[in-house]
Amino acid sequence: MEGDVRNKARASWDMGSLPPVECLRIERSDSPTPDLVEGTEPGAGQQAAMFVHSRSVEDLPAEADEDAESRVEPQPVADGDPGSSETFGTSENGLQVEENIIEVAQAPKESSWAESRTKEEDICSDGWRSHRKHVFVLSEAGKPIYSRYGTEEALSSTMGVMMALVSFVEADKNIIRSIHADGYNVVFLSKSPLVLVAVSQTRQSDKEMIRELQYIYYQIVSLLTLTQLNHIFQAKKNYDLRRLLAGSEHLIDNLLRRLDRDPGLLLSAVTCLPLASSSRDAVSASLQAAKAPSLVFSILMKDQYLHHMDLHLVFNLVCSSSSSFREGEGWTPICLPKFNSAGFFHAHISYLEPASELCLILVSTDREEFFSLSDCKQRFLERLRKRNAYQALKEAVKTPSYSVDLVGIPELRHFLYKSKSSGLFTSPELPGVYQSEEGQERLMGLYQELHSRLHHSTRPLLSIYRCGETENFMAWLTSGFELYLCLTPLVTKMQAVSAVNKLLKWIRKEEDRLFILSPLTY
Amino acid sequence: MSAMRVDTKVVMLGKESVGKTSLVERYVHHRFLVGPYQNTIGAAFVAKPIQVGDKVVTLGIWDTAGSERYEAMSRIYYRGARAAVVCYDLTDSSSFQRARFWVKELQNCEEHCKIYLCGTKNDLVQADRGLRQIDFHDAQDFAEEIGAQLYETSSKTGNNVDELFQRIAEEYSDSAFQYMSNEAGVDLSQKKDSYFYSCCHNN
Repeated sequence: MEGDVRNKARASWDMGSLPPVECLRIERSDSPTPDLVEGTEPGAGQQAAMFVHSRSVEDLPAEADEDAESRVEPQPVADGDPGSSETFGTSENGLQVEENIIEVAQAPKESSWAESRTKEEDICSDGWRSHRKHVFVLSEAGKPIYSRYGTEEALSSTMGVMMALVSFVEADKNIIRSIHADGYNVVFLSKSPLVLVAVSQTRQSDKEMIRELQYIYYQIVSLLTLTQLNHIFQAKKNYDLRRLLAGSEHLIDNLLRRLDRDPGLLLSAVTCLPLASSSRDAVSASLQAAKAPSLVFSILMKDQYLHHMDLHLVFNLVCSSSSSFREGEGWTPICLPKFNSAGFFHAHISYLEPASELCLILVSTDREEFFSLSDCKQRFLERLRKRNAYQALKEAVKTPSYSVDLVGIPELRHFLYKSKSSGLFTSPELPGVYQSEEGQERLMGLYQELHSRLHHSTRPLLSIYRCGETENFMAWLTSGFELYLCLTPLVTKMQAVSAVNKLLKWIRKEEDRLFILSPLTY
Repeated sequence: MSAMRVDTKVVMLGKESVGKTSLVERYVHHRFLVGPYQNTIGAAFVAKPIQVGDKVVTLGIWDTAGSERYEAMSRIYYRGARAAVVCYDLTDSSSFQRARFWVKELQNCEEHCKIYLCGTKNDLVQADRGLRQIDFHDAQDFAEEIGAQLYETSSKTGNNVDELFQRIAEEYSDSAFQYMSNEAGVDLSQKKDSYFYSCCHNN
């Protein structure tokens, strides 16, 4: 049955009204992976196959999709590991109900894609299709709100189909969660009044993808507040939400990009600037001394006082608007959905000095308080200077990360360590092998996979040791921490275990520099 | 920077992507940033001292976001403004409609605020007359009707930008001289107005 579906789907794919299929495409659709999925369990053998495959494709010449790409954003590595078209989802249970729907769904999709053309990115093109991960947001009336690639108008019929799928299953008092077919994972997240859909060719599990969709959902909530969102759709079911989100699409684009790269989003943790504990105390004390009555939070660079999700949304806001805050002071409403999804806070965003990398974010409850927060910043800066902490801080910012060599374990390439109690994580600079965009996303992909294995909902694991062709991994989950090691491929299991012990010792030694051990509250 | 005294509040208003931020960038930092369009989030504040005769006037410029999402809270940005630069894009007629909306809003809520109409992206129009969608005379008529001054600027070349802000500062200075006894600038440390705003007042 499963094989059937896949073949049919592929047939329609090839026959469909596509532009001529170039060699890359053939290479990919003829890849051995579908068969692999049938036979192997998600395990080591399959991993190895995957590595071989991903390398072979990386060796191929220029990317076919580059030309269709008119956005400025960096190409999400469509070809990083197309071998990933296999899913461990296929062997998973429960969601197969929709298998027969997919045939129905694909037919109309094909035709609608053929009809509509867009200026931005031709959604009929191979380039559009071969993006690794598509994300769509629509309203419950089926109105398009956001699409990662291509314009929303062109996709309105596709989104209509998605909505039809959701309501079809809903009619039976069921919830559609995902569809697995032809190497694609289609994951649905229904958060009334919005529906979020991800279509991916990566090896990510459903759970991972749902988590990413949740981030997107909260990003939208943080722009509008949940109260306002509900209010709008109660008043007018077919409201075009794009009117209100205009100009903020790049926030979502950027968030998606960070989801592919930033381990913090994966681990639900944030990282803080390595700083000697004495300077950190001085900075915190200065912050606290400079407070104003309405001030709720202050975040200097990467200090944590907030739910990690909210914090990431704030960071995303700041990172996405590179220049506008740099010389002036920003004053913007922001909803922190995990803290209070009903109302706006007001964030005062400023750089300590125009040329400095240090961004101070002060969050207040009162929208009239701009000038008092502005004062706050000045007082903070003065105090910092008086205590000589500013210099230390500036020094620390120059080297925000550290090299993995510092740990003194030659086999160790990279690691992620999350301290559960503080919600903070630490990880060294990416070594040369992973510094390219592709490398970074590939490494993140592998971490993501380990992460989803450890946190599997039905079969959670405590530790994993995995050998690959290009690197070995060790992952360990305890009640206190979560640890992922990326090691050179020739390491034995014994060496890996001793590396873990050494690393833990090192982290304990550096603990007060790497983490905020005693966060302050107002 | 913000610790300095601000003499008068100037607010930038207009449809999104008409070039309010570019105008401020050009005026304050004498530069024009090329690159993908980035919308302003919320609003940004910048203080700029300017020489008028033998005095120095500090303009506190609020660069607001044009996005409709922030419309509900735009009042906090223009409240108490002595001057508003209402921008429209010379090559986009819908932006002029939006400018009319802002003018009406200001007339209703901030009657003491002087309005400066500003047609942006003049360099585009200079390069290709066919791009112009807002006739100079139409804009001029509208400006007269509402008692505003009209400028056509280009943030790319800097054309007319300094003149616009210089004019704002001069007019403030003149009026401040007349009303010296009434009010002497805005004190940054002043306490907020007495009425209460909840944080979810935007609805």
